Amino acid sequence: MATLEPAVARRRWRRHDRGVTAALLSPPLLWLLLFFIVPVGFIAAYSVGAISIFPTDAGVVSFEDWARFLSGDTIYTGLFWKSVRMSLTVSVVVVILAYPVGYFLALCASKRKYVLLLMIIAPFLTSYLLRVLAWKVILGDSGVVNSLLFSLNLRSSDDPIQWLLYSQFTVMVVLVYVWVPFVALPIFASLDGLDRSLLEAAGDLGAGRLKTFWRVTLPLSLPGVVAAFVFVFVPTIGEFVTPLLVGGTSGYMYGNAIQDAFTRGIDWQFGSVLAMFLLLVVAGLMLLFGRFVQVRSVAA
Amino acid sequence: MNENELDRIFAQNTDRRGFIKLAGMTTAGAALLAACRQAEETGSGGGGGATGATSATGATATRPAMSEEPGGLQVFDWSGYGNGDYYPDEEKEYLWGQYLERTGDTPEFVLFENDDAGYTKVAAGTTYDVVHPCGYKYQDWVDLGAMQPWDTSLIPNFANLSPNLVESGVIDGQQYFIPLDWGFIAPLVNADHVDTSEEDTMGVLFDERYAGKIAWVDTLNMFHVAGLFLGIPDVYNMTDDELIEVRDFLISKKPLVRFLWSQSYDFWLSFKKEEVWAGYSWPDTVGYAEAKGMNYKYLQPKEGRISWVCGMGLFADTANYFHAHEYVDSWSSTKAAEFLLAYYYYGHTNTQVDLSVVSPGIVEALSLDDPTALEPPLAIPESYMPRRDVYAQYWAEVLAS
Repeated sequence: MATLEPAVARRRWRRHDRGVTAALLSPPLLWLLLFFIVPVGFIAAYSVGAISIFPTDAGVVSFEDWARFLSGDTIYTGLFWKSVRMSLTVSVVVVILAYPVGYFLALCASKRKYVLLLMIIAPFLTSYLLRVLAWKVILGDSGVVNSLLFSLNLRSSDDPIQWLLYSQFTVMVVLVYVWVPFVALPIFASLDGLDRSLLEAAGDLGAGRLKTFWRVTLPLSLPGVVAAFVFVFVPTIGEFVTPLLVGGTSGYMYGNAIQDAFTRGIDWQFGSVLAMFLLLVVAGLMLLFGRFVQVRSVAA
Repeated sequence: MNENELDRIFAQNTDRRGFIKLAGMTTAGAALLAACRQAEETGSGGGGGATGATSATGATATRPAMSEEPGGLQVFDWSGYGNGDYYPDEEKEYLWGQYLERTGDTPEFVLFENDDAGYTKVAAGTTYDVVHPCGYKYQDWVDLGAMQPWDTSLIPNFANLSPNLVESGVIDGQQYFIPLDWGFIAPLVNADHVDTSEEDTMGVLFDERYAGKIAWVDTLNMFHVAGLFLGIPDVYNMTDDELIEVRDFLISKKPLVRFLWSQSYDFWLSFKKEEVWAGYSWPDTVGYAEAKGMNYKYLQPKEGRISWVCGMGLFADTANYFHAHEYVDSWSSTKAAEFLLAYYYYGHTNTQVDLSVVSPGIVEALSLDDPTALEPPLAIPESYMPRRDVYAQYWAEVLAS
């Protein structure tokens, strides 16, 4: 009977392993290359005028638009910080609201947790636009909130609370609503993987429930919390649909400026500068957060 | 909220989805197309300048007959103009029923959200057979080299179109566009809350008395409206100083505004619920207000209404030359014109339209029986903006302020 030497077997297995890895990884890598890296390359090329949409434009490389943007003299710097502020607020509120949900699902809901999880993400079965439009019905002048105030005589019907709809507040409310269920997932995942014996041990060593939470549960779920934060922060900072629908005159965000530059402004070069800048900021943040979030610990 | 309105919301929803899809496609896909085109041009060593139109003219003789054309006419259009977003059966029957009957072909519709988005997509290299932009952009489309002139002898219904209005589709002496639907831009006010005894003015959209009850539109047209109000002579070609004056004026009045609409129907819903009392309005909202029996007034401002006319253009490289002419003939018919009037409250350049398809209130509010209504001093026709990029920049500053 011919048995392989262990070293040979290991080598073969390793070669085989490498083949499998390549086979498994190449479709997503190819996808990423074709639909992310290459388009981003195009945007970068647009941003310096290396390519342009109009045949009449010469296609001369120029960093003028970058210089104009980075000089800080344009309205876009302020707009960027406004979006960062809004996005930060939304992310913090979302994480605070989603944490108890994830906690309940992972540590209290026991057998029913997956059913409950399904129920939490059920709103995702409807169109995003319908969910946003529904908020118009709730927050409008004659909407649910104002009508309630009228009927309780807390507010005269001639004078509804107007800032409920078409304001920065509305944009943030809708974004929080949309993202809470999503963000509960990574928090749930990190809490679900928590070793329960650690909690028992903390109890045995005399820690109260609050102390156990502060010293054991929270630190261990921190990667999930950071991941959750990034999950909200990154997409909302470039958000443009929600401000368009419920933002009114004050909810305009950085993402809207990018969209406008590409459509109404027909200034793809400057639009690309705005888009690339956002991409670079987000990439930088990801690198920073990457130090805190170990993918494995979230996945576990 | 009745069933009909729900339908509308769904229709609008599709429309927005289409728009988001479009936005996505323009950013990602178009980059690729543009790059390819760039490469092509560099390869052929062509010496700059947008001169594509020249290749298009006078080629009718060498064209294949309609039976040899591929069909599947690609129509690049607004939502609800035949694709069935609003009235699936009626749009088909009235707007392109005649086309279907004569050619047996079902057109394919690709939608754009507004003139600029449509233009950008084509500028990036995508082409169709027929496109439906508005008058102020005609010159841009022709400059792009993407269009060719129509052969009006192939459009029997062309003879029924108002010669006056059709003139606006002539560029460089050739009928590049067939102007069809028209309408106004003017303030619509709720007469229960807004004092209509004063002389009508665009100023109602900047009036402190109606703070929080005003809706603007989210387009560069706000520069025209404000420019007219401030007495600027040519609002379509403002100088830098004038633009700065208008921009600062708009920024100072923005706090009075509840929201900026990008879909006419959003404005109507809000106007109906009395969330806003005065707004920048197209004729469709006037029609809804009339049908609802609201106490409204569609102003005839002393500065003039703004009038617009949109029309069909023919792509230079279309393989469906004769199909496209049949399609436009269908759109030029009295049947199509009456549909637009009865369902959208839009005018049509066809002069044979029976005005009794709408109520007398609408005929009056929209001056449908007044042939001078589209001309100064009653209306200022929307026209080409040579410096639209500068307008866009200033408008972005208003939005971001």
